[in-house]
Amino acid sequence: MIIGRLYIDQKSVVPKVVIGVVIALLAIVPLFTTSMVTLSTLISSGIWAVAVMGFILILRTGQFSMGQAAFMAIGGYVSAILTLNLGLSYYWLSFLASGVISGLIAFAIGLIVLRAGGTSFSIITIAFGEIVRIVALNWEDLTHGAAGILVKPPPPINIGNFEINFSLSLVPFYYFMILLVVASALFYWQIDRIRIGGTFRSVAANPVLAEHLGVHLMKYRVIAFTIAGVFTGFAGAYYVTFISVINPLIFDLWKSIQIMMMAIVGGPSLIVGGAIIGSTVLYSLGNYLSQLPVPNVQYVVFGAVVVLVLLFLPKGTGLVDLWGKFWRKVFREPEEYEIPGEFADDEEE
Amino acid sequence: MPPAGIWIDGLVQSCIYMTMAFGMVLVFSILGILNWTHGQFYMLGAFVVYYAVTAAGIPFPLSLLVSGVIVGALGMLVEKFIIERLTGPGYGLLAVTAATMALIFFFEGAAGMAFGLMAKGMATTLPGVLDMGVFSISYQKIAVIIFTLIVMVAMYIVLNRTKIGKAIRATAQQPDAASLYGVNVGWVSLIVMGIGCALAAMAGGIMGPVQSVDPFMGRIPMIMSLLAIVIGGLGSLTGAIVGGIILGLLNSVIAYKISYLSEVVLFVLVIAILLIRPQGLFGAASK
Amino acid sequence: MIKKWYKVSSLLVAVVMVLTLLATACAAQQTPAPAQPTGPITINIGVPMPLSGTAAPWGQIPTPLREAFVQVLNKQGFQVNGQTYNLKLIQVDDENTPEGGSAAAKELIESDGCKFFAGHWSWNFSAIAAVTNPAKVIFLTRNGAPDALPASWGGGGAYDPKTMPYVVFGTPSQEEFLADCFALVDAFPNYKKIGLVDSSVSKGGPGWVAVGKALDAAGVRYASEWFAPGTTDFSPMLTRLNQEGCDIVFVAGWVGEYMAMLKQRYEMGYKNMKVACSGPFVSMDIYQAVVGVDAFEGAIGSYEAPWAFKKTQVNPSIIAQCQEAEQIAAQTTGAPYDYTGEFPWVPAHVEILTQAMQQAGTVSDPDAIMKAIRGGTFDTTAGKWTMSGAQTYGSPIVFGTPASLCSIQNGKEVYLSEHPMEPLP
Repeated sequence: MIIGRLYIDQKSVVPKVVIGVVIALLAIVPLFTTSMVTLSTLISSGIWAVAVMGFILILRTGQFSMGQAAFMAIGGYVSAILTLNLGLSYYWLSFLASGVISGLIAFAIGLIVLRAGGTSFSIITIAFGEIVRIVALNWEDLTHGAAGILVKPPPPINIGNFEINFSLSLVPFYYFMILLVVASALFYWQIDRIRIGGTFRSVAANPVLAEHLGVHLMKYRVIAFTIAGVFTGFAGAYYVTFISVINPLIFDLWKSIQIMMMAIVGGPSLIVGGAIIGSTVLYSLGNYLSQLPVPNVQYVVFGAVVVLVLLFLPKGTGLVDLWGKFWRKVFREPEEYEIPGEFADDEEE
Repeated sequence: MPPAGIWIDGLVQSCIYMTMAFGMVLVFSILGILNWTHGQFYMLGAFVVYYAVTAAGIPFPLSLLVSGVIVGALGMLVEKFIIERLTGPGYGLLAVTAATMALIFFFEGAAGMAFGLMAKGMATTLPGVLDMGVFSISYQKIAVIIFTLIVMVAMYIVLNRTKIGKAIRATAQQPDAASLYGVNVGWVSLIVMGIGCALAAMAGGIMGPVQSVDPFMGRIPMIMSLLAIVIGGLGSLTGAIVGGIILGLLNSVIAYKISYLSEVVLFVLVIAILLIRPQGLFGAASK
Repeated sequence: MIKKWYKVSSLLVAVVMVLTLLATACAAQQTPAPAQPTGPITINIGVPMPLSGTAAPWGQIPTPLREAFVQVLNKQGFQVNGQTYNLKLIQVDDENTPEGGSAAAKELIESDGCKFFAGHWSWNFSAIAAVTNPAKVIFLTRNGAPDALPASWGGGGAYDPKTMPYVVFGTPSQEEFLADCFALVDAFPNYKKIGLVDSSVSKGGPGWVAVGKALDAAGVRYASEWFAPGTTDFSPMLTRLNQEGCDIVFVAGWVGEYMAMLKQRYEMGYKNMKVACSGPFVSMDIYQAVVGVDAFEGAIGSYEAPWAFKKTQVNPSIIAQCQEAEQIAAQTTGAPYDYTGEFPWVPAHVEILTQAMQQAGTVSDPDAIMKAIRGGTFDTTAGKWTMSGAQTYGSPIVFGTPASLCSIQNGKEVYLSEHPMEPLP
């Protein structure tokens, strides 16, 4: 067992209508403010949330990967290199390729590496992340070494008379971030609903029992690792477009650890909600604190928040669980959490 | 064949990685977790020694003990208030891994705020170089080697000849059986964490004069001792020592042969070991 | 009934929460406009600097001096069209990362209303330029950051003179590195071989190609070596350099690594090997404490105190300002302030900006100010310089400091040699 409670049915925590309202409100944020600082914080939080979702999915199969930033780097490099060589008009194709290639690499790596479980797997993923960084640094013909590659914003999209121009303001970036987060959220929810999601749940709840029931653990681990690789690749490609450059220093070991921290703070029990809450809270906090005239305070607070969340929220379920508790208290909702212990809830498509 | 200076250089590194890895494995064998903050205890130890020597005027060897005691106590606090609470029933590996990793940020940030981010140095401690003709070695590095020998002998005596040492070894082999024989496992965990962190702190302290002292100095020894543990085998004390020696020498020789790409070689080696022989050179099949 | 109330109320709570969030976010940005002062008008200059993390010393050490220099300037202020202006430096932590730089730049432009960035050093040139250029913020930086290297040096660089018209390379660190090599040769004409050492992070940067070509053309004997970022043990590298016959090791501006090399070549017994650094000495005390008094003796580093230059002419009134600023910095820090490396950075950048504003006759029109900067002549802390023309990397702008070296004798900086800096071909 990796962590106490790995699965909460999101319907009992956040009603669908609230999710809808939050999305609707987020969608009109640019009407209230076009501030670069606010929008940038939201965009970055959203992108990290996508990466965190991947981490949590892998976590559900009982593994924790500390090389997720490497997949962001792979995604970022694929899209940057393809755009550089094919031309800017192929941006969206390169973007798609970034997820596909990152997923393929995750699949190949997963097949070899996921055999080693537990701590060994974590150490291997650390080593993998470092190797990706060193290769990016030294394969100058492809990655331009330390100089990195300048990533241009996507070309303007014309819909009738309406032009979406990424180079003029951050608003298109913002909406595309929402699109990316919603797309990955829908995908992960969908996984939860179909049979494979039930299996993930059962693997998370009790890996030994699941294996005895005939679940091929390795298969599901590779599937989860690959899916996470695809979406993390997209997140990486979009992140480097947003900050306009990719170099080997951006996605290092500390970024992988940061992804893990966000998952912990948000709560790995809820794949989408936990990721979004965790990344938003930690990213905004870090961003705010780094602007204070007290150097280094962001690292202290960052570390303290994670430890405190682990210590004071029950069984390491993160902020999302706190939200669930609050919700039930306020509305006296009769239902308790359900922690499904068996797989395949017969909610197949 | 690399010149003698390279082997000496590798040996000094081996000493540090060995001491660090030994502490980590000791903690791992009792608590069953990797303490990812180990490198930060190394850093804190160096700072304690620095201030003990420069501000309080305590002699260097005594400062090493002081740092061992202070940082060891800090390690015990971490064990008592964080690790113990996160390893109870219902918690898994992730919680405690995440907590110790978060402490990396916490300690580095706090050290930066408290001691400043500028590098500090103690080069005036044990200055001078011993010239042996073929190679030369500084007295500071000789001190590192002697220190490591003393520590290893002391650890051997503690683990084999004392009551607490026997309790530790018994707990490492069979925690349940040990507790049946009256060993307080919680207490043993506390002691082991204290010893592990004190070793790291003293290693940091003895390296203080050799390197510069800054809040980020713990990162590389941490990664290196992790690799040493993997080479030697997770959970094996002999493995930690041999792994440390191999890694230190290997690191120097590879760096001498192929320069900056030596990192890749080490990481690939570690991945290969974990995939082909996960128990390392000495580890029993670990679980 | 209950279910309906539940739905409505949850909706209400969510709406209220998100609205409060948005309201606070908006309120936080709309800081009230400052009342028009009657005296001098203050112009904010953004200084994105690493203030936390491993690179933080670079941002923190020069702070007292640059603040003191602006304080000295503000005593009189500067006049544009009869109005007196003062300057104010606003430092924001950029964590030495692209995302940190991007966030810091947005913060500086939006919250602090900065129209000018100066003294930028970090490894995030392209991320900051991507924010400043569309906002028409004039951005003074160095050309030595790996990603800033111009594309015409062999590709891969981020800088493009056409799409980045508001970027000014106020400090050409690559040219300075090259000139430092020549200054070393001037100082030690009987050298055997120079070992050029840099982090593998800079390896393959097009700047190195250009430096190598220039050294070949001048007939300098050299060997190159790289170390992995974060390396603390340089003994293997020094051994190799020693075997290659290098008697001078020249490090590209890495303080911690430089100190380690100084100490380790001494420990390895290579007593005749000189170790030089293209950066200035940060503080004598730190070097002596980390390296040791004996090993520090004879160390060579940049020496950029304007009053020490022997070949470069610096305006005496500016020298007086620099010396006054150094005294103020010593007072604020409570110790002798011996970091001379800051003089060609923010003080020089500030001189360029104020003089360009005066020449253009405006403080608000970035295009007019840029027009004045291109090809203009400026009197700065590093001598009188004309922004040279299109001969350098297709950019209309280059600006130089002289390469001046000192060596340590009895724990003090002693002037060693100087070589004029020329644009790289």
